[in-house]
Amino acid sequence: MASLGDLERAVMDRLWSAEGALAAPELRDGLAERGLALTTVHTVLSRLEQKGFVVHDDARPRRFRARGTREDHAAELMHEVLGQAGDRQAVLARFVGGVDADEARLLRELLAAAGPDDAPR
Amino acid sequence: MLPATAAALAVLAALLAWPVPALLARAGWPRRDPLVALVCWQAIGLAGGLSIIGALLVHGLAPWGHSLPEATWSVLTGHPAAAPVRGDHWVALTLAGVLATELVGVLLLSWVRTTRTRRRHRELLELVVQPAELPDARLLEHPAPVAFCIPGARPLLVLSSGMVAELDDAQLAAVVAHERAHLREHHHLYLLPFVAWEAALPVLPAAARAHVAVRTLVEMRADDVALSSLAGPAPRRTLAQAIVVAAGGAGGAGVPSGALAVTGSAVGARVVRLLEPPSPLPAWARAAALLSAGLLLLVPTALLLLPAF
Repeated sequence: MASLGDLERAVMDRLWSAEGALAAPELRDGLAERGLALTTVHTVLSRLEQKGFVVHDDARPRRFRARGTREDHAAELMHEVLGQAGDRQAVLARFVGGVDADEARLLRELLAAAGPDDAPR
Repeated sequence: MLPATAAALAVLAALLAWPVPALLARAGWPRRDPLVALVCWQAIGLAGGLSIIGALLVHGLAPWGHSLPEATWSVLTGHPAAAPVRGDHWVALTLAGVLATELVGVLLLSWVRTTRTRRRHRELLELVVQPAELPDARLLEHPAPVAFCIPGARPLLVLSSGMVAELDDAQLAAVVAHERAHLREHHHLYLLPFVAWEAALPVLPAAARAHVAVRTLVEMRADDVALSSLAGPAPRRTLAQAIVVAAGGAGGAGVPSGALAVTGSAVGARVVRLLEPPSPLPAWARAAALLSAGLLLLVPTALLLLPAF
């Protein structure tokens, strides 16, 4: 039994590779190897719509398409992570926060000054 | 006449609002033992809240009794005040209520907000990225060298393809160990009270200072934990290299980076600390610091709960 997250990803993959909008039966047929019921496809679609990944045309309410490309969503996430202000650090723990060019140069010099060989201290 | 308890609590609150955090933020020893320093910061944050709200409460309830338990009991059982209730008593009670509500409210609000943002990030990640070999790790296609973790009930560790490309295996292992340390020790919870203090009392410089200090200490603690789990000849240098690559790449690739001034100095301090490790804190100093932290919590609690003398 595939998890819902798994199904959502499969449906999104279909929508991303599709030319235009898709209807639920088309999605079910596209995912035939999973043997999904049409209601399952509808459940997954409405979940995705709630999360804001899928939209349907007002003119054709039964056809669904992806709101943005996969790259759009990756860029959106990255933008939030990189542009994170100090007070947002509580949301996620980033390995190294943003550093300006001068500071980065200083850090490299620091590392070089410590010696290229790994002398134990 | 102010009850002695209220006066003592007020003095403690004043000390914790300014001189104590200022001293600890400037002290050199926290980088020698980040964990002990984190315990001290938590004690300061908690004792500060207890003493300021306690001082206001004890003063406001003074007409009903000379200690908090006694006065609360009188109010709850409907006894009339033994002394005339003046305006300043009402002001103190109102302030105590407002401050307590604000602190708890801000804490809840930032909890809800961060949880919601984390959930959205997790949803995005799970959709956009194929699961890697590791169930709790994701590889995100992006040129900037970035690594982060999303704490929570189902934590996720995220590496960018830029990070993987720029680091060798040992350095990558160091990054992963650092992020796993954050997750395992729930460092996001250490930060939460200070996010709340800063949001509730933005005029208090100590609140912002404490937040920055705690954030830096959490990173140093994660570095320490990572070092203990790393193999290889020079784990300190490996981790320092990873930090420098991650810092340099983010600036050099023209990626917008926020919070420069704050995080910048902290990154430098981490690298220096890795390359020139300070001697660990002697056992007696650790014990003394932990004892002070305990006393700091015990004093306002005792003042609030013990009957007046």
